Parts: sequence; structure tokens; C-alpha cells
Amino acid sequence: MDISMELQNVHKTIGKKEIIKGLNFSIRSGEVFGFLGPNGAGKTTTIRMMVGLMKITSGDIKINGISIKDDFKGAIQHVGAIVENPEMYPFMSGWKNLKHYARMIPGITDERIKEVIKLVGLEKAIHEKVGRYSLGMRQRIGIAQALLHNPSILILDEPTNGLDPAGIREIRQYIRNLAEQEKVSVIVSSHLLSEIELMCDRIGIIKNGELVTVEEVNEEQENDQHVTVKLEVNDNAQAMTVLRDQLGLEVSEQQSILMLQIEKNDVPNLVKRMVEENIEVYEVALERSSLEDKFFELIGENTIA
Amino acid sequence: MLNFLSLIKNEQIKLYTRMGTWSMYIILFAIMLIASLIVVFFGEADEQKYGDDWQAQVTAETEELKEAQEEMEFAAFDSEIAKNEYYLENDIKPHPYDAWQFTLENAGLAMLISLFTIIIAAGIVSNEFKWGTIKLLLIRPISRTKILFSKFVTVLLFSISMQIFLFLISLLIGLIFFGMNGLNPNIVQMGTEGIEEVSVFSEIITQYGLYMVNLIMMATFAFMISTIFRNSAMAIGLAIFLMFTGNTIISFLSDYDWAKYILFANTNLRQYIGDGSPVIDSMTLGFSITVLAVYFVIFLLVSWLSFTRRDVAGN
Repeated sequence: MDISMELQNVHKTIGKKEIIKGLNFSIRSGEVFGFLGPNGAGKTTTIRMMVGLMKITSGDIKINGISIKDDFKGAIQHVGAIVENPEMYPFMSGWKNLKHYARMIPGITDERIKEVIKLVGLEKAIHEKVGRYSLGMRQRIGIAQALLHNPSILILDEPTNGLDPAGIREIRQYIRNLAEQEKVSVIVSSHLLSEIELMCDRIGIIKNGELVTVEEVNEEQENDQHVTVKLEVNDNAQAMTVLRDQLGLEVSEQQSILMLQIEKNDVPNLVKRMVEENIEVYEVALERSSLEDKFFELIGENTIA
Repeated sequence: MLNFLSLIKNEQIKLYTRMGTWSMYIILFAIMLIASLIVVFFGEADEQKYGDDWQAQVTAETEELKEAQEEMEFAAFDSEIAKNEYYLENDIKPHPYDAWQFTLENAGLAMLISLFTIIIAAGIVSNEFKWGTIKLLLIRPISRTKILFSKFVTVLLFSISMQIFLFLISLLIGLIFFGMNGLNPNIVQMGTEGIEEVSVFSEIITQYGLYMVNLIMMATFAFMISTIFRNSAMAIGLAIFLMFTGNTIISFLSDYDWAKYILFANTNLRQYIGDGSPVIDSMTLGFSITVLAVYFVIFLLVSWLSFTRRDVAGN
């Protein structure tokens, strides 16, 4: 599998404080990689090192095999990025802003700029001043400027920050499209799992400058795997009796929802039993996200560290 | 190179898209207009329109000046008197006040241009930090050195275009209000070795050029402060403060010989020209130019080091 970005034992020390303590991971071509961690964990510092805004104290970052330390120009030309907020010149129109960045890289035609504008759906507002854009529009123009030169890696720092749920959904779709159709590797950072879980192929969790784990998202669950099932029924007492006595399962009740652990294979059987016992089933939900548990286990509920 | 030109184009667009830049031109224009109106209504423009008996007029005027000189202890009309005597001796009819004269007097407005250039120089780097756009600017396949120098060149271009604006509009306003005595008349003025006759155009270029020296030094200083502290208010404040107090500081320290190495002892090259005298006796034009060049290089070097070596960290 092709690697588009590789972090090799990356350290960052500011003053006497070690902010990043040896990161090692790689981003595969065409995948969406989530970079997750509480505020202050070192996400933005890492991203700033990836794009050369900050120097790497020791270690190296290679983009398509080119070191950002040794050959900044060679490496950065494959990268499009938004670092923190997508800030543009507020006194210029979206078009002028994009032209401004286009002039800094040879070979970007007006056609390409229009193409990118269409991709992010900003045709209508492109000649308005960026100062009047909503946050969602700013994210879009930010993505547009990052895509101008057809980068093979797109880095988006907190792309969902400050967006409403509809906006988050939209961004999610853009990102998936980019990865799937344009084969762009995307790195998205966030401090909220729920916001990036649905768009990522893999998620790396960072805490206190160290990579805690890298997890595959949406991995196919094996049928003999244990899953947590949430059940919402009309009669909890009867259901619990059935589950305990007839199926021999351990059931707990949380806020009038029944929780139990079974093998995935047994789920149809369980539903069948319920129906046979004339229990009305409103909802059967498999809680497949071991990730969320892991995240909380690692980070703690309080994400503002 | 093409690369560098497009960077300069970018900077020009950013500069001139903002209303603030245009208002500087408007203020400069307004001040020139007011100055011309003052000359028209209260000035000596009419008095200097000598008739056929100009010799008698000039003689009378010289007598008045001499009397005034004797009555008032601090009056210094020496150069005026000398000029008039020169006119009479060489049988030159003094020119009436004209567009050239007006343009020459307006060279002093270069102080205002210095002020505006300092504001531009102080903002051109630090604003990118303030707007947060520096992050998007520095992640392009272009070296930081090129980006920094495109900004410095933009500051220079701005000050030059302001000088040209000042020159052309002064000439135009002068032409409308006062007319013009030929395309390049000679004027009589106090030179290093007494009264001399020079072409007005070369005198204007000299005057504008001399102001330009001070302007470029202060703008480069503001540019450096803004690059180091990434804060335009600090750079503007410090540069303007030093611009206005520089001469005072020097006059306090002029007893010490080492004071000649201070920037402000050297920014005013007019001290070597005309009836000026150097702040410290041992100073020469060559010395000042060398000192200025050293300061200039240091300012740029410090800006460059600060801009290319330091991390762009969070706000």
C-alpha cells in the first residue's frame, strides 16, 4: 500500500517543554485519517510541523517520500492545508483570494479555480467579500484554496469547528468524495470523536504529545464477535425475565433501556424470542463503537484537558 | 523571477484593495491643495511679481530687510539679503513664484510620506499574522525569503509612488494656481560656497532624494520591528517616536564623539549640503552614507533572520 505521509519519531520541544514526544505513523494514499485528541494534546503543533510552519526538533516528516525538513518546496507542493481557522483576506472577494494563492504556484489556470469553486459549491458567493462569509462558507473557501494545485494530501485542522450539524454533514461528504473520487489522502483533526468518526478510515488518538493508538473505523464485525445490544421494549420486566431465564443472559437496565452482551450471531434469535413472547420491540441497536469506549478510556470524559 | 513578480503583484493587490491606502493619497492631495490655497490667499506670490522697475523693487526690499535685521536681535535675513544682492549684481530678474517653486517647497511633505510609509511597512508583515493568513501564505512552494523581500520591495514601491504622486500633483496644482516660468528655470539659492544658481529640476530631485533617505531608513526600521514583534502598533509607535525624537536625542549627545554612529545623526544628509553644517564636526558625507548602509543591512538582516527562522505558532 502506498504511503503518502510518514512521521518518523517526530519530537517538538518549545523552551524546555517537550510538546510532541516521538510520533510515528503513516498516512496511506487515498485514506481519510482522523487525528483525534483533546485540546492541547499537540494536534495543531503536529500539523504545523507537517506543513513546515514549525521546525521539527528531531525526527522527520516525509511527504511522498520527500522530507519537509530538507526539501520544503519539493514536499509542500503535494500538500494543501487549512491550519486552524480558514482565514482569508476579509477585504477581498473569494475569487480574489483564490487568485492570490493561485499566483503563488505556477500552472493554476482560471479554469482550475472555477472547477474548485464548483466542487465546494461557492459559485454564487465567490465575488462577495470574504468578510461577509458565514463560517460554513469560510470552511468551503478554505478547502477550495487547499485544493487549487491538485494536492495528493489534504490536511484539515478542525474542519468542523463551529459548524452546525448540517455543515458538518456537508464537509463530511466533500471529504469522502475527495478521498474516493480524487484519490486524495486526507488528514482531519478534531477533539470530538463524533464529528469525524463517520468520515475517517482510520483514527489516530494523541494525548500529551504521544500517539496512544491507531484504530480502523468501520471494520467489518465478525459474526462471533461480542457486541453490546441496546433494547427498547414496552415491558422491561417481562423482557428481562425472558432474557435471563430462557436465554441465560446478563441484562442491565439503564434509563429504561436494556443493555446486554451477546454474540452477533445470536441477535436474530433474540429478536425472534421477544416477538414470540409478545413483547413489543421498539429498537434494537448494536453498539459497535468500541472506538468511543476506547477514546473515553484513554482520554477521559472531560475532553478539555 | 516570474515567481517573485507575481508575489509583488499579490502584495500590490492586497495593499490597494484596502481603503486605508487610498485615504493616504487623498490626505496627501488635500494637504497639497490647502498649502496652495494658503499661498494664493496669504502668500507672497503676488508681491514677487516684479515689474519693469524690478531693480528698484529689489533694492527697496533689501533695505527693509536690513532694517529689520538691525531692529530684531534674532532675525536672520542674511540669505535673503545675499540673494537680492546677487540678483542686482548679475542683473537677473527674480522669477515670480511658480509651480516649480511650489513643488520644491512641498518636498517637506515627504515627512508625511515617511509617516504613511512607516504605517505600511509596519503592517505589511504583522497584518498577515493578525489576519491569520500567514499560515496560508507560508505553506506554498515558495521560500520565506522571497515572500519577505516581496513585501519589502512593495514598501519601497509604495513610497516611490507616493513621491511621484507628490511631485506630479504639486506641479499640477502649482501650474493651475501659479503658472510656470519655463520648463526648467534656474533658481538662485544659498549653496555651500555662498549664493549659487541651479536648475530647479535638479534641486527638486536633490531635495526629494534627501528626504527619501530618511524615509527609507525609518520604513526599514518599522519593517524590522513589525517582523520581530509581529505587531504593527508597536512598530508604528516606535518608528514614529524615534523619527520625531531622533534629532533631540542627537542634540543632547552631540558633545560625545560616539554619537556620530547613531542612526539619527546621519539620516539628515542635508547637513552636508547648502548652508547646513554637520551635527558633529568630524562627520563627512561618505561617513554618513557608510553608517546608513550598515544600519540598512542590519535592519534587513534581522528581519530576515526573524522571519525565516522562527516558528509560526498559535495566536
